[in-house]
Amino acid sequence: MEFNRRNFIKFAVGGTGGILLSPLPWKLIDDIAIWTQNWSWVPVPVRGKFSYLNSVCTLCPGACGIQVRKVGSRAVKIEGRGDYPVNQGGICPLGMAGLQILYNEGIRWKAPMKRVGPRGSQEWKEIPWDEAIDELATRIKGLREKGSPEKLAAIDGNQSRSTMALLIKRLLSSIGSPNYMVMPREEDTYDMVNFLMQGSRGPIAFDLENADFIVSFGCSLFDGWGAPGRMLSASREWVKNKTYLVQIDPRTSNTASKADLWLAPFPGTEAALALGMAHVIIKEKLYSKEFIENHTFGFADWFEEDGVKHKGFSRIVLEKYSPQVVENITGIKGRVIIEVARKFASAHAPIALAGRGKGTLPGSLYEFMAVHALNALKGRVNKKGGPLIADDIPLAQWSDPEYDPVAMDGLKKARVDLAKTPRYPFSRSLVNKFTETINNSHGSPIDTLMLFSANPAFTIPDSQSFIKAMAKIPFIVSFSPFMDETSLMADLILPDHTHLEKMADIVWPTGIQYPLYALSQPVVKPIYRTEHSGDVIISLAKRIGGPVSGSFQWANFEEALKERVKGLYDSGREKVSWADIKENGYWSIPAHSFEGGSDIFQTPSKRFEFFSTEIELAIKAYSKGKSFDDALLDLGISSKGDEVYMPHYEEIKSGADKKEYPLLLFPMELINLASGWIGNPPYLNKTLFDHQLKRDDLFVEVNPKTASQYRLKEGSKAIIRSPKGELRVRIHLFHGAMPDVIFIPFGLGHTAYDKYLKGKGVNPNEIIDQVEDPLSGQPVWWNTRVKLIRI
Amino acid sequence: MKKEDTTKGNRYGMVIDLDKCTGCGVCLIACASENNIPVMYDESDKTRNITWLQIYMVTNGKEFPETEVIYIPRPCMQCDNPPCVPVCPATATDKDPTSGIISQIYTRCIGCRYCMAACPYHARVFNWFDPWFPEGMDRYLSPEVSPRMRGVVEKCSFCHHRLMRAKAKANVEGRRDLKEDEYIPACVEACPTKAITFGDLNNPKHKISELIKSPHAFRLLERLNTEPKVYYISTKNWVRRMADNYLSGEFKDRS
Repeated sequence: MEFNRRNFIKFAVGGTGGILLSPLPWKLIDDIAIWTQNWSWVPVPVRGKFSYLNSVCTLCPGACGIQVRKVGSRAVKIEGRGDYPVNQGGICPLGMAGLQILYNEGIRWKAPMKRVGPRGSQEWKEIPWDEAIDELATRIKGLREKGSPEKLAAIDGNQSRSTMALLIKRLLSSIGSPNYMVMPREEDTYDMVNFLMQGSRGPIAFDLENADFIVSFGCSLFDGWGAPGRMLSASREWVKNKTYLVQIDPRTSNTASKADLWLAPFPGTEAALALGMAHVIIKEKLYSKEFIENHTFGFADWFEEDGVKHKGFSRIVLEKYSPQVVENITGIKGRVIIEVARKFASAHAPIALAGRGKGTLPGSLYEFMAVHALNALKGRVNKKGGPLIADDIPLAQWSDPEYDPVAMDGLKKARVDLAKTPRYPFSRSLVNKFTETINNSHGSPIDTLMLFSANPAFTIPDSQSFIKAMAKIPFIVSFSPFMDETSLMADLILPDHTHLEKMADIVWPTGIQYPLYALSQPVVKPIYRTEHSGDVIISLAKRIGGPVSGSFQWANFEEALKERVKGLYDSGREKVSWADIKENGYWSIPAHSFEGGSDIFQTPSKRFEFFSTEIELAIKAYSKGKSFDDALLDLGISSKGDEVYMPHYEEIKSGADKKEYPLLLFPMELINLASGWIGNPPYLNKTLFDHQLKRDDLFVEVNPKTASQYRLKEGSKAIIRSPKGELRVRIHLFHGAMPDVIFIPFGLGHTAYDKYLKGKGVNPNEIIDQVEDPLSGQPVWWNTRVKLIRI
Repeated sequence: MKKEDTTKGNRYGMVIDLDKCTGCGVCLIACASENNIPVMYDESDKTRNITWLQIYMVTNGKEFPETEVIYIPRPCMQCDNPPCVPVCPATATDKDPTSGIISQIYTRCIGCRYCMAACPYHARVFNWFDPWFPEGMDRYLSPEVSPRMRGVVEKCSFCHHRLMRAKAKANVEGRRDLKEDEYIPACVEACPTKAITFGDLNNPKHKISELIKSPHAFRLLERLNTEPKVYYISTKNWVRRMADNYLSGEFKDRS
């Protein structure tokens, strides 16, 4: 057949028709339809009986009440508990995503592990619990036999008054080590303010629901500060009561947007702003005369018995902090300062709050004192709607631990972190100094380090230094339930249960205005071979033997806890029993007692001290044998005279050259990005905007004006360099960011956890160039000088 | 087209007070965990990830320090005139006349995504992949909501299973009508600032009927006549102006 046009068309048409008439195309289409519906995996949730269990979320010291919906033996949903006083139904995003912490196989240790390869190689061997506890017990026994029990250290992330924290502390002291440290937190600074100005130890509570004028000096009230569930509930009261909120923040945070007035002083000058307000209040005589005259010390000038004249707080503030001076320091217009101060002074129940971000990291001591001085000027201390001196929670005390000579000798040795020494007299614990001491010493003064509920290798400012110190410590034991950065560098893992698998308590959740004891209970049975760290400690103590074992008379953690709780129902203030507390999940006295006039202050003067006698005593003790000026220089205090003992403004110094590093790196904390020792669960990733995280790139917020100086556009890639290192980021232009400041969120940049978290973003802690806060020695983590480099 | 009578039956709706909303994201997470919503490695890919309730962040565009930020949580608007329903070739989505809720039947959906194109609120999402839960996380899946397969569209159902649960309970107790707070979606229940109010728009006794009369109440893209049943409240003019494409001079100041 000839191949021509006609035949070609005939062939094509015939062929097409033939194929269409055959079953082939229809069969193929059918096959494709079936093939595409061959779903590889669609899970079918297992059915079961519905039940609801009440418990308390112990992921942070906020202790919100939760109700867990269960289907059969599985927990399927966490909801806020409406009949629980702290949060009244509200709960934070992390608490809501709690099941992704419990059930995420990829982030949890499933059994005790022993490192077999070199450190960091991630070669592990699963070992039985007996063997694991024995190994640690043998090591500690060895230290005690060598007469150096102080070489054991612990870093604890549990709430400081919880039974777990007390148990760990007890273990260390009965073994004979003074080196019990807690993770740095805002509570430390408040504890010092409370001690120096009011004479009592412990955090300060805030009656925010009854305040009608709130000045927050940097607390992210709606971004996770305090007990997040409570703060978000409180916000509805504020809307209802028309509470006036002034937010001081260098960036349009959620709180700043919700506030009635937003002020943005230069970061680190908040103390000056507070004192500027104090100046107006004192000058215009708007303070509470009754409180100042009867209950305070150091307000007016006074003479000591030997005739030495002291300048009073009022005189110093009038001389040094006029609105004009403060305007130059803070960048806030003098007339605004006057206006805010007058409003504050004329409010019925004003309150001033010091803090920064979520309150997971410490603040500056003098700044917190300056802010708290505002409360005292208006006589708000321990009044309805004011800052409260915590009532006693009548928990029973355990009997004192037994000490043998080895323990007694060990406890006399100086702490490795230098806390409570003459140089750092007021801080309870200084992990930053612990790191420094280890890095500066020739071997390691610590032989065994135990870590509880903490991930310092990720969360500590200047984390690289901590990691360096860890490498020097011969033996590290992690009690973390998670494969976090710190536990991956450990030698022995004794995994704890997660918060939904165990009983734990929180004594007086952060900032709550009435006494409350929260008790969580296991919601599901432990799903892996983990053990309650409390039980492990008791069993460890028994194996160490001798007096250590004698100090742990309980069979398990629950018994130890029960012995403390017994005090609550023995006190008879609330008629309850153990069963009631366990079922309710809390014990509480509904309202704070506003009793006690002047006797609430336990300072040497028995008054509220503007002039802190304790600081005077401490500096006197420290300056023995050296000149007074040198002593102040050592302590990092730049001011002179009576001001040293009073709230005042100290410019935070930075080692970095301002010319070389012209910008400031300001880490921020978001409520929907977990930045503590708990890794951010995948559901929280959903809430991040794609101008915060895009693929693996973290965005930093930069003011468009600053960005244009560096020719950076939205989404540009850049390097942030500090003296400590550099981070690769992308730029998000945000008008709400203060010019010349780079805002970077805490919580991303994990090098551990699963692929839903690992490698996403960068961790600002790596390049934080921390300096020491004057007097307290706590790390100043928000003052890193950096430069921005376009790439 | 004959206009449907929307005064009969229940018309469930929502009022979200943007003055109270702090953008914490709890509603989104409550929604995700209530409705077995899967997670991806890269949740920053907002064209592929699954969220029924999305939160938008908007600013007033003013320079430092005049900047303001607000957050707009956006569930399905459950429109009275839903643009997504008439376009569906498979009748996979429909408006329930007894509740006013727009349903989505996954097994009927053919994945053509016409509804996604029709929805002016971007309230619908497509399953580009099989549902994925990190290892071990299928243990928290709730049997009340079926996980969706690849190739179908899904969207907010106002937690319809909760309505079923409440109705079943009412039936057992011999009641015909539900009490006001007996049926509320997970996001409403979870909101820690109580910014979201839920109820029956056809019931004048419900709190929501009062709230929508506020001069500060508005809906998104109101002039498209989709008649959303999700209302917002904001006392800020710039927020209300942003809610629709107003011509200059057209926006009426109601402050």
